[in-house]
Amino acid sequence: MVQILVYGAVISAIYAMLAVGFTLIFGVARILNLAHGSFYALGAYGVYALTADAHLPLWLAAIVAVSLVACFGIGMERVLVRPLRRSTLAVLMITLAVNLMVEQVLLLIFGSEARNVPSMVGATYHLGDVDISGQRIVALSGGIAILAALWFFMQHTRLGSAILAISQDAEAAQYMGIPSDRIYSLVMGLSAGIAAAAGVLVAPFQTVIPGMGLLPLIKAFAIVVVGGLGSIPGSIVGALLLGYTETIIAFKVSTEWSQIVSVAAVLLTLILRPAGFFGKRAAF
Amino acid sequence: MRLRLFSSMAAMVIALGCTWVAYPAVAQQDQPIKIGVNTAIQLQVGRDAIDAAKMAIDEINTGGGVLGRKLEMVVADEGEAATEGPKVGIAAVNKLTGEDHVDVLIGGYDSGVTLGELPHISRAKTIFLGIGSASPAIQQKVKDDYEHYKYIFRVNPTNSAKQADGLIDFIKGKLKGELGYTKISIIGENAKWVQDIVPALKKGAEDAGLQVPVAEFFDVQTADFSPIFTKVKDSGSQYLMIILSHAASDVFVKQWYDAKVPVPIGGIDVKGQDADFFNRVGGKAISEVSTNFVLRAPITDKTVAWWDKFVKTYNRSPVYTAGGAYDAVYIYANAVAAAGTTDTDKVIKALEKTDYVGVRGRVQFDELHEVKDGPGYVNELFVQWQDKGERKVIWPKEVANGKMISPPWLQQN
Repeated sequence: MVQILVYGAVISAIYAMLAVGFTLIFGVARILNLAHGSFYALGAYGVYALTADAHLPLWLAAIVAVSLVACFGIGMERVLVRPLRRSTLAVLMITLAVNLMVEQVLLLIFGSEARNVPSMVGATYHLGDVDISGQRIVALSGGIAILAALWFFMQHTRLGSAILAISQDAEAAQYMGIPSDRIYSLVMGLSAGIAAAAGVLVAPFQTVIPGMGLLPLIKAFAIVVVGGLGSIPGSIVGALLLGYTETIIAFKVSTEWSQIVSVAAVLLTLILRPAGFFGKRAAF
Repeated sequence: MRLRLFSSMAAMVIALGCTWVAYPAVAQQDQPIKIGVNTAIQLQVGRDAIDAAKMAIDEINTGGGVLGRKLEMVVADEGEAATEGPKVGIAAVNKLTGEDHVDVLIGGYDSGVTLGELPHISRAKTIFLGIGSASPAIQQKVKDDYEHYKYIFRVNPTNSAKQADGLIDFIKGKLKGELGYTKISIIGENAKWVQDIVPALKKGAEDAGLQVPVAEFFDVQTADFSPIFTKVKDSGSQYLMIILSHAASDVFVKQWYDAKVPVPIGGIDVKGQDADFFNRVGGKAISEVSTNFVLRAPITDKTVAWWDKFVKTYNRSPVYTAGGAYDAVYIYANAVAAAGTTDTDKVIKALEKTDYVGVRGRVQFDELHEVKDGPGYVNELFVQWQDKGERKVIWPKEVANGKMISPPWLQQN
């Protein structure tokens, strides 16, 4: 029981970080970003390259990697997405193209073999009869801290209020003098930075390969469908639901069956409640 | 006068005729024998196969070639099976046989891809020496339809059914016989070749008197192995036998090490055979046992010298496909020399009589064109990652060059 609680919390925190950024950019700019998994992969590869090649300390490499990926997100929005934003299909295609390009570039630079990112904490801790690695505890606490900081930013800063205003009514917000284009870039940067942070936190206990962004994209997609596309609380609830369901099935049934949870959750949600738990309207 | 003219003309016609008849032979004599290498050039299994084949070709060419002809290598990329399936491999084979007109194909690393390539190889009537794929279904084709599939030989590795026998031998001899274990668990990725092995292993272990409380599969996409480790630990198992190929070995090993799972691991871990695997996982593979087919150990008189030359030439240690590719080039060259021609049917007959001591053991083929295994032949080695990424053969006893160690957290002070 303790095992399910602990491991479920870790996986849910990672899922929440991935889904929150994915839903944020959709809620604010109506961009369905298929390059979201690339941010996660770039975060992991960034910290790898900065530690293994540039020999930076791990904590500094993590900060630099997340910042660089956030800048990449801003640049991508400004150069590639903004000119096409009027067409949902064009945005889908350009973000898919970015996703494929990033994967190929990583393959060319680093090759197809898995890369190693060292653990931030090497020790193993015992909670009751559960052995848990220090890195998982770092991932859990890091995830909670980032989500809490995002909540504070959205609720207690002027910029956060501007983002919320745009997400509620973009036209009215523009009439009030909020620069929507700059807000979209900022939100894309935030979304990219949070996904990169997830990549950095899990890289030491997950695989770092060029195609590593695909599964997180699928998970993020499933979570926001369940939680409601565009809803941050919905994403967090969806992440907890998916994370714990997968963990319970993996522990009580088999890891083989845990992978089907996200697909089943999407199907059920689309049939029973197309808007998701917290969505105001059906996303599709 | 007329007679002399007639004689001169007759002599000229005969001379021209002789030249005409001899021309193809002379022309062929000038042409190199083309060795096609079809492999995944992005992966270490592919890069090492190419480099080892080149090493053998250079050695043979330095010695004068075969039948006075030089050997020449042509490479085609099979792509990554996990993401691209067999289509890239099929295109590679068709290019090598259809455009480059190679005399032999040496390659293959994924059974699914190789099985997809077989009809194309057979249609091209080109000899194929497999050096990486392990499915028994590949060589079964030779038995089922010899006329169509007589071109297919497996030089390396031994097939997965024989590998299962090797694992059972390790369980009986090492785990039960020497270490006195009574309870082991078995897990494997959910792939066709593993679905065949796991039940056979479980039966073999139980027949040997061991308990097997956990024997299950996991999805190749599995990213969190904690539930499996918990199950195995709670079962009281003393050893965890693993069968991994396409699954994320690095994730598996890192999570096992980080959680300090109190159960040693070992078995077939294809990525764990890579020479740089230990470094790729930050040293967390310590004490993991992985089967292999070649290592710097006195397997034959040639092994250590070949290994050292490869390391010196390419600045890295070779993986199992390298030994296979190196031996395959020599086996083909010897067969051509014995046949006195590159004619496919004659070379096949010579290959069937192969008796060659390579860097992995003595190579002979059975009636399925399958490399023979067992004492004196090519054998599965159980190799353990030890301190500082050093590898030691710990089983079979005859070729062992080191003692088995426990994971650091289980070592008694």
